[in-house]
Amino acid sequence: MLVIAIDTGGTFTDLAAFDLTTRRFVSTKSLTTYDNLANGAFDCLRKADISPADGVVFKHGTTLAINSLLQRMGARTALVATKGFRDLLEMARGNRPDPFDLFYRRHPPLIERDMRFEIAERMSAKGEADQAPDKAEVAKLASHLRSLDVESVAVAFLNSYVAPEHEEQVAQWLKEMLPGVFVTRSTELSREWYEYERTATAAANAYVGPQVAGYVRDLNHRLQKDGFEGRFFLMASNGGMLGVQNVLETPIALVESGPVGGSIGAATFAKRLGIQNAIAFDMGGTTAKCALVQDGRFDVKSVYHVGGYARGFPIRGAVIDIVEVGAGGGSIAWLDAQARLYVGPKSAGSMPGPVAYGRGGAEPTVTDANIVLGKVDPDGFLGGAMKLDAAAAARAIRERLAEPLGYGGHDGVLRIADGIVTIASVTMAGAIKRITLEKGLDPRDYTLFAFGGGGPLHACDIARQLAIPHVVIPPEPGNFSALGMLLANLRLDETVTFIRPVDDDALAASEQVFDELSERMAAALRQEIADTEVSFERYAEIRYRGQTHSVRTPLNGVKDPAGVRRRFEEVYRTRYGHADAKKAIEFVSLAVAAHGGMAGPALDTLQCQSGGTEPAFRRRSVYFGATNGAVETRVYRRNELPAGFAKEGPALIEEYGSTTAIGPQDRFSVGELGEIHIHLGRQQKSS
Amino acid sequence: MNVHSDPSRASAVKNPASIDPITLEIIRQLLQSIPDEIETDLTRTAFSPLIYEYKDYAVGIVDVNGRLITQSRGGIPIFLANVLGLAVLDGIAIYGKEHIHPGDILITNHSGTMGQHLNNVVMYAPIFDPTDSKQIVAFMCVLEHWTDVGGRYVGSSASNDTTEIFQEGIQFRSVKLRSRGEPVAEMYRMIEYNTRFPEMVLGDVEAQYAGCLKGSNLFTDIARKFGTDITLRAITMMWKQSEAAARAAVRSIPDGVYRAEAFLDNDGVDLERRIECPVIVRIDGDQFIVDFSEISPEVRGPFNSGREGGGVTAARIAFKYLTTPDEQTNEGSFAPLTVILPDGKFLSAGATAAMARYSTPLATVIDTIIHAMATAVPDRVAAGHHASMGSHRFQGRLAPSGRLSTHLDTAHGGWGGSLGRDGAGPYKTLAHGDTLDVPVEVQEALYDLRVDAFGFRTDSAGPGQFRGGLGLDKAYIIRHPVNLTLTFERHGCPPWGLLGGQAGQPGYVEIERPKQGRKKYLKATDLPLNAGDRVFVHTGGGGGFGSPLARDIAAVSQDVQRGFVSIKAARADYGVVIDANGCVDHAASEAERQKRQA
Repeated sequence: MLVIAIDTGGTFTDLAAFDLTTRRFVSTKSLTTYDNLANGAFDCLRKADISPADGVVFKHGTTLAINSLLQRMGARTALVATKGFRDLLEMARGNRPDPFDLFYRRHPPLIERDMRFEIAERMSAKGEADQAPDKAEVAKLASHLRSLDVESVAVAFLNSYVAPEHEEQVAQWLKEMLPGVFVTRSTELSREWYEYERTATAAANAYVGPQVAGYVRDLNHRLQKDGFEGRFFLMASNGGMLGVQNVLETPIALVESGPVGGSIGAATFAKRLGIQNAIAFDMGGTTAKCALVQDGRFDVKSVYHVGGYARGFPIRGAVIDIVEVGAGGGSIAWLDAQARLYVGPKSAGSMPGPVAYGRGGAEPTVTDANIVLGKVDPDGFLGGAMKLDAAAAARAIRERLAEPLGYGGHDGVLRIADGIVTIASVTMAGAIKRITLEKGLDPRDYTLFAFGGGGPLHACDIARQLAIPHVVIPPEPGNFSALGMLLANLRLDETVTFIRPVDDDALAASEQVFDELSERMAAALRQEIADTEVSFERYAEIRYRGQTHSVRTPLNGVKDPAGVRRRFEEVYRTRYGHADAKKAIEFVSLAVAAHGGMAGPALDTLQCQSGGTEPAFRRRSVYFGATNGAVETRVYRRNELPAGFAKEGPALIEEYGSTTAIGPQDRFSVGELGEIHIHLGRQQKSS
Repeated sequence: MNVHSDPSRASAVKNPASIDPITLEIIRQLLQSIPDEIETDLTRTAFSPLIYEYKDYAVGIVDVNGRLITQSRGGIPIFLANVLGLAVLDGIAIYGKEHIHPGDILITNHSGTMGQHLNNVVMYAPIFDPTDSKQIVAFMCVLEHWTDVGGRYVGSSASNDTTEIFQEGIQFRSVKLRSRGEPVAEMYRMIEYNTRFPEMVLGDVEAQYAGCLKGSNLFTDIARKFGTDITLRAITMMWKQSEAAARAAVRSIPDGVYRAEAFLDNDGVDLERRIECPVIVRIDGDQFIVDFSEISPEVRGPFNSGREGGGVTAARIAFKYLTTPDEQTNEGSFAPLTVILPDGKFLSAGATAAMARYSTPLATVIDTIIHAMATAVPDRVAAGHHASMGSHRFQGRLAPSGRLSTHLDTAHGGWGGSLGRDGAGPYKTLAHGDTLDVPVEVQEALYDLRVDAFGFRTDSAGPGQFRGGLGLDKAYIIRHPVNLTLTFERHGCPPWGLLGGQAGQPGYVEIERPKQGRKKYLKATDLPLNAGDRVFVHTGGGGGFGSPLARDIAAVSQDVQRGFVSIKAARADYGVVIDANGCVDHAASEAERQKRQA
């Protein structure tokens, strides 16, 4: 009776599994296998000695969809657009986010012009069918597409967000006329206006469709061959699990499945620990990511840019709201021609990696700085499996940074190493500021929930930058994504454009829309798990009449227009600091998030403490900034710390895959779930 | 640049090492994040699409001597002018520093100071030293394009034929909108009754005010955390380093005198007279000197700009494109740049000259400076771009409410080819940035327009070894009576090719009325249209780079396959013979190309 979660990441494939009968938890890691991603999953199963036959639920996160889009490795895809509009996909919105780049260009469109076709049809903006599509014309196009060996087709028509009938009709005909070809349409992915964004979403869905379908079928087949008879789910970008049938229709829903698991884990732990406001902070080798968790829930946003905002393309759909910055353990510290010190965004990655890895890396990284400072044990890396060259790290920092900046001696190297870590912390704190201050929230009201390989090492520095008083390091921080996936439930999100003034009539109409959506989504969830417990969140995008930007306003329990207004103004005031009590407001769209419960592990089964009440420690000299200097520091093993154990800093807590650093003014304690709480001491003045 | 004589700061310059490089980097990051943060708020809270879609704003911090500390990157480049600093200096000259108090908020759009159209209103707030509440250390500035500030035409700047600034709206020359935190009710009334869209403008004013307030607080937080003295020293170092980076970039350009010419069709009033804009660039070591001495004098129509808002702005933008595109902008960024510009030219017009369309010529001026540098640094330039704002504005009353509705759309067109790369696009002009096009679904739902087709304009790109980017065709059907105002430019002087490349097709508009043929337009003001009329907007393509006969035949064939180039043009422009099935006749092509090269 196992629930198995496997997360395929950039470097590692992680497994976490929980036995529903024995309540036993296991986790493991193996290298990601790029030639055949499924192999990495089976490597993990073997390593953990798990037979798929014992699995009742198999949960899987994969980077397949995003990689396919970024590397342009998807299917041979055609676009079918309204007559006169096949170029929308390539024209995009005409903006240039890099203002002074004379050679700026976007990534090429997923579907080039010679594979973009038009059908004579037209809906008006009010949803009147001005010209119906003609089946004969579609048949002619279908035979042309067949002659081009098209594997996948996206249908996206103008104004279909108001009335999708033409799109549905043409997609249906194409499915019938082109058996074996993947056919998708924009309105099955988004019912919101903005034709470019909707078309790009349909194109992306079609582009990854055949490949994702092939992968999922193959993996499912291999699991079944090994005796698996349970249910197979994939991790979706909205933070919910999605059944195979849904994935086969809307594979684009997997686009940002990678970093989602950690946020779910953080949300579940925060809720259990009674922490209302948390920031989930995940620091890996090349980037750091953060997401807000409030009352055990995280925000989703409705636009995501594949390949980044500056050069990529948007897709519409619920994606967990994560801010990512280019700061990680492998981020390189460098000087420009004017001797300005930068950290990142260039990263040494895992190959060649930091200088201390001895694999040919010459440029000092954040990890090298941590080794020099004594925060990372060069002999204890990955449980001692890999020896690190601390002298080489120090030499690189001295020669490339400290000396050119006029800092001599070992003290100079320590000062600069500390500076590298501080600058990286400022960058990461900037990401947290973005995700809080931009919404009008104060980071000091939040608990920093840190995980990933580097999160526990930097959490105190970052918290200090932001005057956050409380940090939590959950169990298994190095394997937290897979663990989070184990805790994930079913989830569906839908949004429909609904432009109406907020009044009694509109509210009544919205009730009807909400009810229809909820009913349909509940049925879809019960198709996945018949007895799943379903709950709904209702939202509306609302704005002042005349503004274009709207705010997402929760509507559960709201009964009348005055109530809607109160909620809207509350959100608006929080976000922007002011609200106008007189100005008319209007709905822009209605959204429902439907949740369905899944069986998973109890959090208190995850700790694996083995030591006594006074755990042993070693001592090491660690440099904690110019004011403290090098300090004798206790070094603990995490699995030897019992619940209730508490000490003053400075301290380091080491475990496989991660080290937690606690500053000299801070103190820590171990909680009932095995989590480490760090309470920050008085803020130190910098420099 | 003004030389300052403040002794405390002069010593900091002499002793740059008095701030450690790590603190410097942290302060730099924190300062630069201020305008970015304000910008995000602005684009979300503004009421006017000119702010949240067009990004017609700038956010910056200047010191007490008007020197730029940092500026947002997301707004359109046209605000690289030191208008923020000039606005602040004008306010200090008028009031005296001692009469600017905590909680004061000032606004200005004075054309004699800023030299741009009156819609551009700078709001600024003094930031006081957190340890000495009498000392102003900096000013937080937010510039926004107000939708309407009165004047002859709806929108104030949608004019082709005004001849004095006074026809283009009301001027506020550094007046207090708030005094010690309290709103000055008289000023709010002045604004409310001098705009056609008081709700929108006052909404934007509040967004602007919130930005000033928040930015001031963020700056004060930094000064409090690190100390005012350390913060100011860090700023001085930032300037020195940016200056050094800019000078190093200029030194990499071969010394010499470079020249290029272009012209605009007319000023909207004297339709037969071109606006000439020859440009001379002199590179001398780390000096980049732009000489506008030969350009046309001030014109009667609204295509003038003042020295700072016009000539200096265009030179600065071109300088960034050519030398330091990735550097953050601050007072040091333009230290190597000198602009020679006598008074009374169309880029240095007097305070009463009409300036409604001040930005239209700037794209051409920037492009011409880049053109001048083609022989010096061929790998850093591109052929000419469409360079036309191509604004087309529909204005009418929406049924059934009768509400006045204006919808402004502008042209996206092709950019020029460059060494190794075809021209990109469609984008707006070199003077624009992260400006989003308005979706057709929004145009149809909110403005009752009907768009019949919108796509690439075949054969609009300038032929070249690396061809230009394509222009676009957009076809509107008018559904209720509207007035149309158009400003299309660069018809007589289409986007040029470089080093053997050919010019792109210029943009223009056609109007087709029932039972009449199509008629071509470039500039028109309040042209009445009726239901059933059709408007065809054609935007320009970019110029080509290098000889089209040197273009890879496979690339020409692919362009034909994709419909970017017609079979006819493939032969005429590129010497590539392609049959009706799209197959290249290689022998015929070789013969054709040899014949031409002979």
